[in-house]
Amino acid sequence: MPGYNRAELTAELKVLASADSERAPKEQIDAARRAAGDSGLAREAGPETMALAGERSEVLEAMRKVIEASLDAGAHAVQVNVEAEGDSPRFG
Amino acid sequence: MTSGQTMPTTPTRPPVSTPGKVGEHTVRADGVPKVTGEFEYSSDLWMDGMLWGATLRSPHPYARIWSMDTSAAEATAGVPAVLTYEDVPGRKVYGMEIPDQPVLAWEHVRYQGEPVAIVAADHPESARRALEKIAVEYEVLEPLTDAEEAMSEEAPRLHPSGNLLRHIHTVHGDAENAEADVVVMGEYEIGMQDQAFLGPESGLAVPDGEGGVDLYISTQWLHVDQDQLAECLDLPQERVRLTLSGVGGAFGGREDLSMQAHACLLALHTERPVKMMYDREESFFGHVHRHPARMRYEHGADRDGRLVYVKARIVLDGGAYASSSTAVCSNAASFSCGPYDVPNALVDTYMVYTNNPPCGAMRGFGAVQTCFAYESQMDKLARELGMDPLELRIKNAIEPGDKLPFGQEMPEPAPVAEILERVRNMPMPEEKEAMGRDLRELPGGVSNATHGEAVKRGVGYSVGFKNVCYSEGFDDYSTARVILSIEDGEPLVRVHTAAVEVGQGLVTIQAQIARTELGVERVWVLSADTGMGSSGSSSASRQTYMTGGAVKMACQAVRARIFEKVREEFGEDPGGLSLDDGKVFSEGRVMLVPLDELLGDEVIEETSEFHHKETFPFDENGQGNAHVQFAFAAHRAVVEVDVELGLVRVVEIATAQDVGKAMNPQALEGQIEGGIAQGLGLALLEEIQIKEGKVQNASFTDYLIPTILDMPSVRAEILELADPEAPYGLKGAGEPPTIASTPAIVSALRDATGRELARVPVKPDQLVGIAEKPPRQPPQPGSRGYSDIGRLDERSET
Repeated sequence: MPGYNRAELTAELKVLASADSERAPKEQIDAARRAAGDSGLAREAGPETMALAGERSEVLEAMRKVIEASLDAGAHAVQVNVEAEGDSPRFG
Repeated sequence: MTSGQTMPTTPTRPPVSTPGKVGEHTVRADGVPKVTGEFEYSSDLWMDGMLWGATLRSPHPYARIWSMDTSAAEATAGVPAVLTYEDVPGRKVYGMEIPDQPVLAWEHVRYQGEPVAIVAADHPESARRALEKIAVEYEVLEPLTDAEEAMSEEAPRLHPSGNLLRHIHTVHGDAENAEADVVVMGEYEIGMQDQAFLGPESGLAVPDGEGGVDLYISTQWLHVDQDQLAECLDLPQERVRLTLSGVGGAFGGREDLSMQAHACLLALHTERPVKMMYDREESFFGHVHRHPARMRYEHGADRDGRLVYVKARIVLDGGAYASSSTAVCSNAASFSCGPYDVPNALVDTYMVYTNNPPCGAMRGFGAVQTCFAYESQMDKLARELGMDPLELRIKNAIEPGDKLPFGQEMPEPAPVAEILERVRNMPMPEEKEAMGRDLRELPGGVSNATHGEAVKRGVGYSVGFKNVCYSEGFDDYSTARVILSIEDGEPLVRVHTAAVEVGQGLVTIQAQIARTELGVERVWVLSADTGMGSSGSSSASRQTYMTGGAVKMACQAVRARIFEKVREEFGEDPGGLSLDDGKVFSEGRVMLVPLDELLGDEVIEETSEFHHKETFPFDENGQGNAHVQFAFAAHRAVVEVDVELGLVRVVEIATAQDVGKAMNPQALEGQIEGGIAQGLGLALLEEIQIKEGKVQNASFTDYLIPTILDMPSVRAEILELADPEAPYGLKGAGEPPTIASTPAIVSALRDATGRELARVPVKPDQLVGIAEKPPRQPPQPGSRGYSDIGRLDERSET
């Protein structure tokens, strides 16, 4: 029974940790994960990937915080994939 | 298991099902082959040259993975593939509602049995040996196994945003300030029930040589599997094709992916067909279960027994991953107060992540848990009021036009009082003298445990209800294609959908509908596959409503084209035409033309998509027109209990159920008896025992399900009160028999023993008063357990 809890916006953020940073790659990802978790919208979607799902404004705001946390921790890049409910092909 | 080159494709000439129209007793097409053992289940699939897939699972309910070494496994002869999360090319998580469950774990495992790695080998034994050679370094963590604890601020977060998966706060009227003459409170608990389907998870993935894959699978919803697989495999949907194989029962346990992604990954990696088949033990770890729940209730009523308010706090343990838990939460909230007119309600329903096995869909879907609690409360309230418990229920029965606690108006028909009256008026089973009776008719049966000295009879009543179809704004639909042609000089109808036959009789009902609408006896129902549009899941008691509706629509479109052709050739007004016995009749039943003459070589084909009426999500106060239809069933249980030994014999279950239209009375009878068996199992036997997050009884030796010896005779009365919005007026019939049968049995046990019995399954120690609830961990000699619950002679009766 999918779709009950379908979010207005879903964003997947993959943190590309830097090997040159002062902080270890895992710390960079953990920093992003903490920021994502604090938003209340997050779930893990892969070893370096987290998904944020919710209303458009809150997801966009949370994305900014996760990206900031990633960069502050030393990551050099964050890949972002944003999907709006209306555009989602999932579940037919 | 079959051997040789058997390609699992759609048969070119499916067997013609036994003729029967809507409303007629019709023998199920799959009935005889299943009984004689000739039916081919997905576990019978075979291809020459295929490999065997196997899964390495976590032994720990909660652990961090520090490293994984697959080199020794990869070096094993006859093992062409050993895969981990790194080999998942697309999305590394899946889930029907919330993709949060790893295809293969990477950093953490969150429940015992979570898949960590998969192998493909030329023989099941080679696969098993390869699994043994995979070295995983775990740091074992303290599992979080209590749902209440998981909600506390101090609890470790199992998922990034915490452990609360969903909370529904339902506010109806003003329960806080409502004043009642009589108040009863109770706390109830329900254990984790398993679907216990007979055919373990299995399927065969076949690479197409062009980067795509065909999967032959037993599942509940082909398209939702396809959607998730395409994402995990990073393939376009059209390159992941699914065909339904023989399904050995489902009951919700096949709604989520189990081995689907693993088999496809291995097949694509090795470029060879891969079969995966769980054994019974692995099956317990391979699918979700019914949510355990703890429910605190307060009911207030006036002196006449009219309900004034209900307050409730419901906590459901969702286990490690989301599955369909958010929707189960919705149902638990929706049906928390029962089919009663409750003017004020305040209900908080919580769904929580823990390190217990993931829970999700199971027959009754959230309505089972709350029905046990609210019906136990109705018994308690009746005792407090000095009223007959059945009278109390009838007095408060909801009626069409009343508002449910979630704000939706109860539609017609809602015969709650009527079905209760019906079970009251059914004759009671004869009460024989217990002493000297045939052992088989005594609690404990041929185990010769009692000769009837302490056997007491009890009678209990219950009523429950549940939604049919999907809810909360989901645009639910089903697709059907109907093809009419002339073959061997006779008309033939082919029906093609993606709807899954899980044993409920859907294939037969599709044929009945086609015969009814098109007046043609020969109907072939083609194999379900993703070549058709989605038909949704075989769940929520919805398939006859939705896919039946789609088949009916498509047949009507075919019929309209036949009638148009008749109008063109004979000048007859289509409004007066009818079809029967392969012929077209004009008004007054004058035969105009046989279909074979009319059509010749022409083929008429129509595809239709059936949608149910719109529904809406809940607002912040849990209010909304969230559901399509409600189905009701009442039960009366008669039990006999040996009150000294705690042994039970269920003598009879009487039931009355409104089904709108009995589409196939024989199949309906099977649904009612099967549902009651599952309700009886929950009342008396079935519970997955979990200790510190670990399953203790993953076998049918230790997880007990009712056998034919446990089943009582079932006396059923069927009401056919048509729902004006549903095809043929039907109501979903699969789930209601399970919902109220459990509390009816427990109510009868209370009547026999005088005990509170606030937890199911009810165990002998509860029945004899050793403990109202069994200890969470069974005491071992010398353990702290005995000191916790006291010496046998010091235990107080509840």
